Amino acid sequence: MNKYNFWFFSTFTIALIVTLPIITVFFSFFSETSNYFVILKSTFLFDYINNSLLILISVLFITFLVGVISAYFISFYEFPLCKFFSWALILAFAIPGYIFAFSIIAFFENYGTAYSILTNIFGEHNYNPIIPKLDGVLGSIISISFSLFPYVYVLTRSSFFFQSNNYIEVGQNLGLSEKETFLKIILPSARPAIIAGLALVAMECLSDFGTVSIFSVSTLTTGIYNSWISFDDLNSANQISFVLLIFILTLLSIEIYSRKEAKYHQPGRGFKPINKIKLSGKKALLAFSFCLLVFLISFVFPVSQMIYWTFKFPKYIQDIDLLKINLNTLYLVGLASLVLVIISLFINYGTRISKSKILNYLTNFSISGYAIPGVILAVAFITLFSNLSDLINENTNIGSIKKVFIGSIFGLILAYFIRFFSLSFNGIKSSYEKINNSIDESAYLLGYSKMKTFSNIHIPYLKNNIILIVVLISLEIIKELPITMILRPFNFETFATQAYIYASQDLIEAAALPSLFLISWSTILILFSSKYILSQKN
Amino acid sequence: MSNHFFEIKEGNFVASEKNKVNGVNLKIENKGEIVSLLGPSGVGKTTILRTIAGLQKLYSGEIFLNNKLISSNNTHIEPEKRNIALSFQDNSLFPNYKVIDNINFGKKRSNGNDFVYEADDIIKLLHIESILEKFPHQISAGEAQRVSLARSLMSKPDLLLLDEPFSNIDQSLKDEIQVSVKKLLKEFNLTTIIVTHDSYEAFSMADKCGIILNQELKQYDVPYNVHHEPNSIEIANFLNKGVFIDVKVVDSECAVHRLNHKELGEIRGKLSNNFPSGTKVKLLLQPEDLIHDDQSKLKLEVVDRKFRGTNFIYTLKTKNGEHLPVFVHSHHIHQHEKSEKFGIKSPIYIDHLVCF
Repeated sequence: MNKYNFWFFSTFTIALIVTLPIITVFFSFFSETSNYFVILKSTFLFDYINNSLLILISVLFITFLVGVISAYFISFYEFPLCKFFSWALILAFAIPGYIFAFSIIAFFENYGTAYSILTNIFGEHNYNPIIPKLDGVLGSIISISFSLFPYVYVLTRSSFFFQSNNYIEVGQNLGLSEKETFLKIILPSARPAIIAGLALVAMECLSDFGTVSIFSVSTLTTGIYNSWISFDDLNSANQISFVLLIFILTLLSIEIYSRKEAKYHQPGRGFKPINKIKLSGKKALLAFSFCLLVFLISFVFPVSQMIYWTFKFPKYIQDIDLLKINLNTLYLVGLASLVLVIISLFINYGTRISKSKILNYLTNFSISGYAIPGVILAVAFITLFSNLSDLINENTNIGSIKKVFIGSIFGLILAYFIRFFSLSFNGIKSSYEKINNSIDESAYLLGYSKMKTFSNIHIPYLKNNIILIVVLISLEIIKELPITMILRPFNFETFATQAYIYASQDLIEAAALPSLFLISWSTILILFSSKYILSQKN
Repeated sequence: MSNHFFEIKEGNFVASEKNKVNGVNLKIENKGEIVSLLGPSGVGKTTILRTIAGLQKLYSGEIFLNNKLISSNNTHIEPEKRNIALSFQDNSLFPNYKVIDNINFGKKRSNGNDFVYEADDIIKLLHIESILEKFPHQISAGEAQRVSLARSLMSKPDLLLLDEPFSNIDQSLKDEIQVSVKKLLKEFNLTTIIVTHDSYEAFSMADKCGIILNQELKQYDVPYNVHHEPNSIEIANFLNKGVFIDVKVVDSECAVHRLNHKELGEIRGKLSNNFPSGTKVKLLLQPEDLIHDDQSKLKLEVVDRKFRGTNFIYTLKTKNGEHLPVFVHSHHIHQHEKSEKFGIKSPIYIDHLVCF
């Protein structure tokens, strides 16, 4: 087959689209430096970097502790409600950092929920001075940590599962204590998985815009947003993006490398699943209390806070057009999923039947999309199409093309495509790779054409995986904030944007209802996909 | 054009730099013949099958089936249009369909072929009745191989290609299935090419056997001749049935040819290749060629003894250091220990004197 065929050009186009934001940021970095960026460099830029790094390091520390300890208890021991916690802890995925931030503010603010609880229990008194104020950097660290720790939990738990009981028995046979076995055998074997989990946490943490914005902490992401929204300086926004992208792409490399390493720890023949030790007494209480505390903080606390507020301020229920926001969400999720799944299937199939190494190489570029923080993507997107529109305006009579891409559903879906193509493409690819090539060949030899093989053999096999991909895309889009916020059409709201807008207008109690809907949708989707998320093979 | 049912003319088969077979000429005269291709792993046997099936392009040469050119430099009929079935060595069952549905996939190709047989017969013959409702991941590798074979048979192909079809099947079942499959292929006059690295399988299943070594089809003949009259030292070595000893041709003119070995003495039989009297040659000596005789004066020292179930293989040492294998039935009245003297019937008579 000719190397440069239809499949090559299709895949090349997709790879180009997905890498456009990175290319834009890269070129912007070397373009003219504005006055604002010169001022920024000598004033706030180091604050942005310092705050980002401070939050990053703290979040990594907390997510490591919470994720690894909970995975350890659940993987190796039996204690009350241990099975419940094994999936309940991933429900934290349903709570974006910014909703956790609303909850912290609501709970700890002056005359907030904590104040009401203390008043109800101990009577009227000024409790405000004794209630800790978890705001700013500290609030951001806690919010982000408890919304991201499941990454470490899920990957570590999976790695612990793959530790054959044989290793543990050998450790015991060599005279190692339980503690020594954990520190010398179990933890080192799980290292690649833990690093992969932490790298994901780090990428998400550096990408976070909503949480730090709610707590008014200046980080690289808020810096990008402010350069654009407050100073209308896209160039500076992209130059800050460049700094952030360097951090992110380094982390992405670590994550990819660690995942490859983690594969070597998967079991071969003779694998013996771990025999869980039944805990009793104080040890059982310790494991139970730890997991319960993590579950209460990460899920029950924000959910109950949002429920409490919703009922405490019922007037907002009438102010919000719930039906419209539900339909908007459904519309975006449906359209984006459709586009992503169809194109992912198309490219996967093309790569498969053309058996081209170049195509395989090109599709690897698709990974970069998921790593790009939403706020960078949105700003780069605006930069690109503004420049393109200016160029077209100068040279033709077509008129502005900005409205086609910016503030339109088309533009929003295109941005989602760039961000989530990797999720969809690789999700389908991982399942596609399980279909041995000889299966296709058998079908051809039984008289099936390529199209018939695709529709009669591939699609039925991939069906469940496609449903799962749609669920995961939906989950991401429902929680997605900066891209939707920046690129959505005027007056087109999702639960995430509605909640953020209320919160940024100091109507934080009004944010409860959209947040609650967002959590409900996300929880349903997580429960639906929990079997996959917690699958020992992932 | 070709006057044979199937023919490869000067076929060059290339999968990679190392994996290629050149200059293949192979004919299947009549429909219903079974041909085996025998060679070590990685020599390119599967590449040949895949090319015949149309899954790979023929590098150069021509392939004809039923008087029709199906592969050449300029022609490549797509696999789905060839009506050739290939049963893969690895599991190629459709993972999301039950075993019975996989078998029925074969039925969907209808080409009006003149033989008719029912799925039930094939299922019974291949002993897969009990797994019909299972999914491919729930059955063993050997069962999957049999299902794949059943599916290929059901597609009623003009040419059936089997890639190591019995490699994963338990030994206890293998012999029975080999016999049944051969009977079925013959009954339905189904032309078949079997690829294998097992010489017993290749010899027992096929009417003709091709040996592929060092990127070439070295010999293509009936199995008896391939075994008894290998046409090169490398084939004899590959079949690993004997050793070469230095002998001198004493008489190649009479009806019974005579050779002489310094220690074994006269060896009689019929030379496969003609050599003038007086020529020094290497004679292939196979384990079944020497006959044990306690009364014989010709005695050699035992250096090794291996028990092979139905027989022992003794290794005897000559004075000049040659090691000769000899079969002795395991029910033989007594056994010989290492260093003992072992009698050999003399003079030695070998049907086929294979010399190079």
